[in-house]
Amino acid sequence: MFAYIVRRLLFIPFVFIGVTVMIVLLMQLLSPAQRAAAFVSSDAQLKNLDAIIEQYGLDEPFHVQYASWVGEALQGNLGFSTASSEPVATTIRKRLPASAELALVSLIPVIGLGIWLGTLAALNRDRAIDQITRVGAIVGWSLPNFVLGIWLLVLFYGGLGDVLRDFAGGAFRLEPGRVSTEVAIQIANGTFPIRTNFLLIDSLLAGRPDVFWDALRHLILPVITLAATSSALIMRVMRSSLLETLSQDYVRTARAKGLRDQIVHFKHARRNALIPVITLAGFTLIFLLNGVVITETVFNYPGLGRWFASAAVALDYPAIMGFTVLTAFIVVVGNLLVDVLYAIVDPRIRYG
Amino acid sequence: MRKAFTGLALAAALLFGGASAQNTFVYQTFGGIDTLDPAQAYDTASSVAIENIYETLYDYVGESVTEFQGSLATDWSANDAGDEYTFTLREGVTFHSGNEFTCADVEYTVERMLVHNPSDGGVWFLAESFLGTQANADSFLGDDATDADYADYFARIQNAAECIDDTTIQFTLDAPDPTFFVKMMSDVARIVDRDYAIENGLWDGTEATWRDWIGVNLREYHLHDNASGTGAYELVDWDGEQLVAQRYDGYWGDTPAVQDVVVQTVDEQSTRLLAIQAGDASRVQVGDRATLEQLRGAEGVTIHEDPNWLSTTVGMVFFNSDINTDNNPDVGSGQLDGDGIPANFFDDANMRKCFAYNFDQQAFIDQVLQGQGQALTMGLPPSFLGYRDDLPVYDVDYAAAEEACQAAHGGAVWENGFEFTATYNAGNTTRQAALNIIKDNIEFMNPGFRMNVRELAWPDYLAYTDEGKGTMFALGWAPSYADSDYFLHPFYHSEGFYAGRTGIDNPELDALIDAARETVDADEREDLYEQVGQIAYDEMPMLPYPSPNEFIVTRDNVQGVYLNPMYGGQFLWKDIVLD
Repeated sequence: MFAYIVRRLLFIPFVFIGVTVMIVLLMQLLSPAQRAAAFVSSDAQLKNLDAIIEQYGLDEPFHVQYASWVGEALQGNLGFSTASSEPVATTIRKRLPASAELALVSLIPVIGLGIWLGTLAALNRDRAIDQITRVGAIVGWSLPNFVLGIWLLVLFYGGLGDVLRDFAGGAFRLEPGRVSTEVAIQIANGTFPIRTNFLLIDSLLAGRPDVFWDALRHLILPVITLAATSSALIMRVMRSSLLETLSQDYVRTARAKGLRDQIVHFKHARRNALIPVITLAGFTLIFLLNGVVITETVFNYPGLGRWFASAAVALDYPAIMGFTVLTAFIVVVGNLLVDVLYAIVDPRIRYG
Repeated sequence: MRKAFTGLALAAALLFGGASAQNTFVYQTFGGIDTLDPAQAYDTASSVAIENIYETLYDYVGESVTEFQGSLATDWSANDAGDEYTFTLREGVTFHSGNEFTCADVEYTVERMLVHNPSDGGVWFLAESFLGTQANADSFLGDDATDADYADYFARIQNAAECIDDTTIQFTLDAPDPTFFVKMMSDVARIVDRDYAIENGLWDGTEATWRDWIGVNLREYHLHDNASGTGAYELVDWDGEQLVAQRYDGYWGDTPAVQDVVVQTVDEQSTRLLAIQAGDASRVQVGDRATLEQLRGAEGVTIHEDPNWLSTTVGMVFFNSDINTDNNPDVGSGQLDGDGIPANFFDDANMRKCFAYNFDQQAFIDQVLQGQGQALTMGLPPSFLGYRDDLPVYDVDYAAAEEACQAAHGGAVWENGFEFTATYNAGNTTRQAALNIIKDNIEFMNPGFRMNVRELAWPDYLAYTDEGKGTMFALGWAPSYADSDYFLHPFYHSEGFYAGRTGIDNPELDALIDAARETVDADEREDLYEQVGQIAYDEMPMLPYPSPNEFIVTRDNVQGVYLNPMYGGQFLWKDIVLD
C-alpha cells in the first residue's frame, strides 16, 4: 500500500508537465494581440497594444514562454493574475479555503441526503416513496444551479428578507457573500484576526460565535443549492447499489438466520452498498473543491470557481496555469485518497 | 411555547446578531478594481478608489468639467508660450502615513510616472506633454540606445518637474500644451507619498536605479494594494474582492460625513438588485436602462436622473477606408461584384453617407436607450469645447440615402449591390443594436445590398481591428481628461489612435487639430474644433450614435449625489451624507 501511494505521488510532476504544456500550446493558437486582452480592459488601452505585447513578452515563442513560467513557478512565483489583481499564489491561498469551506459544509447534506434518500428508495422499491424520490432526484439533477440559486435568493433575501431582518436582530438573515458587511469591516481593520482563511475555524479560534454564525448563515443558501443537485446523483447510486446488495446470497443467508430486517439492511447490506458511494463522494468533493462557478457567482461567494471563470474569459494566462496546476493536484491527490479509503472500507481490495 | 420562542430569538440576537454597520456607505459594482497605484491604474473601477484616497493639485467643482478649484495647490499660472506651468502648493497637509505633504512629493510623483510609464497604464498622455513621446524610455530609445541616450532621457525627466521652493512647483513641457492643466487632474497625476513609497521598496528617486523601473508592472509592488494619499479617505484594506476605507481624521478639508466606505465587486446583477432593495447596499451599479426599470418604484431606492447627465463616452460606428482584405472573411469576394466589397469601399464619402442616412437615431434612443439619450453631431461630448449643436445629425432619410448610394463609386454599388460583414465585441448589445438598425434599413433599400453583423470575442476583436480588418465596426471612447483633443485627435487625425483601424487621412482635419494643440487661447481652440465639426459633418468619416443619459441608483438615505463624468464613481465620497 505504501509503495502504491509513493508511486502515485511520484506521478504528480508528470501530470503537471502534461497539463501545463497543453495549456501553453492551446494559448499559442491565439495571436499575441488576442493574448493581450488580459491587460486591456478599456477601449483607451487599445492605444498601446503593441507596447503591451512587448512588455509582457506575448510574442515570445512557445518554449521561451513555457521555460519562463516553469522557472518562476519553481521559485514559488506562479505569476500575477489580472483577474484577481494579485499574485496567483495569494489568490489560491485566500480562495481555496473559501471553496473548501463551502465544499466540506456542502458535503454533509450532499452525502447524508443522498444516502438517506437512496436507502429509503431502495427499501421501498417501486412503492410511492421510491417513485417520488426518483422523480425528485431527476428534478434536482436537471435543475440548473443558477435558476435554483436565484429562486432561493429572491425568496429568502428578497421576499422574506424583511421578515428575517426584523426577527431576532437579523440573526437569521440569509444573504449572499461570505460574511456580512459588519464582519467584513472587522476583518479589514484587523479587529477579527484571520489565521487559516477558514472562517468557521478562525471564528472558533478567536472565540467569536457571532462571526461563526455569520459565516455559517452565509453558507446556507449555496449549500442548499449544491445539495439539491449533487445529492441527486448519490441518491441514485446508493439506491441501485443497495438494491444489488440486497439480492446477494449473504443477505439472503442473514435473513435465513432470522435476523431482523433492520440489522440485515443497515449492518449487512448498506455497509457494502456504500462502497461505490464513497468513490462518488470523493469525486463530488474534488468537483466542489475546484470551485462551483455558477453557485459562487450567484451568491457572490469569493471562491476559486468565480475567480477562474473571470480569468478564463479575460485570457488571464498566469491564473489559468495556476488554476490548472491546482486542479491537477487536487484531482491526483483526491483520487489517491479515494483509492486508499476504498481499500480501508473493502478489505478485499489490495494495492501492490 | 411562545415565551420560549421569544427567549430563543432574543438569545440568538444577543449571541449572533452582531452590530449593524452605522454610517457605512456600501457600493456594489461589477468589474473589480485593477490596482490602487495611480501610475498603473487606467480603468473606471480603480478610479473609484483612487480618486477618494489620493488628490490632484486642482480638482473639478461639482458636476462641472470646465470649472476647477484648488485641491493640493492653491494657485497656478502658465507662461505666455504655454509650455511652463507653476503651482503654489497647499500648506499644512499630511498624508495618511503621517508624513507631511511637500513639493518633493509632487516632483517625485511626476518623475516616477515618467520613469515607469507602463504600457497598459494611463501615463502616456502626460508623457507626451512632458517629453514629447507617449512611450517609456525603453520603447522610445530602442534596442540600440547607449548609456548616454538614457542619461539624456533621465535629465529630461528631472527637468519636467522642479521645486522652486517648498511650496512652489514648476512644470516644464516639451512643447506648448493647452490640455496640460486638465491632464493634471487625471488619476495618474494624483500625488503619492514619496517617503512612504521609497520606504516600501518602490523607486528611490535616483538616477542610479531608474533604469530598473522602466515600464515595470506596478501591480507587483507595494502601492498596488497599499496606499498613503492625502484624500478624505484612507485605505483600510483591499483584498482584491472588497475594499474598505475609512474617513481620514487628519484631512485638510472639511470632515466628511460618512465614516466607512465598502466597495464590493458583485458580478451577478440580480444579486446587486436584491441588495439595494434589502438595504445591504447604499449604491449599486446597474448595467442598463431596461434593468433599471425593475427598480423604479422600489421602496427605499432612489434613482437619480438629470437631463444634463449625458454620458461622455462617445460610441461610434467606424467606416474603414482602407480595409485589410488579406484572409478577411468579412469582405466576401473583395470585389464590387455584388458578393463582396473592395478595400476602398468606404473611401467614398457618398458610400459612408449612404449608411449614415440609414441610421434611425430616434429608434436607437427609444429602443436601446429607453428614450433617455441624445443624438450627436460629431465625435465629441456636447459639454466639451467646440461641440457643434447647430449642425444637423445624420438621421434616417431614405431619399438622401438613395441619392448618396447611387452616386457612390460611380453608380457601381447601386447597380451591382454588395455583401459584407460588420462587427462588434460580444456582449455589447448597444453596439450590436446600432449596427442592426443600419442593416435593416439598408437591406430594405436595395435587394442587392446585404450587410451581415457578427460578434467577436473581445480578444479577437482587439486583434481583428488592430490588423485593419474591420469593415464597419462599433467601438467607444471615454475621456481620461476633460479636453476635446482627447476625442478629436484619436477619431479624426491621420496619426490618431483610430487611424490604423479606419484609414482616415484628411489633411484639412489634421491641420485644424494640430493648430488647436499649439494654442492656449480657448476661443481660438473652440473655433478650430467647430471647423473640425463642420468637416466631420460634410465628409462623414464615421458615425457617432446617440449617447445615453446616465443615472445613479442609491438608497433613499444617500444625500448629496451628483454626477461628474470625470470621476470613476461619479461623485466623491466626502461629498455625501447618510441620513
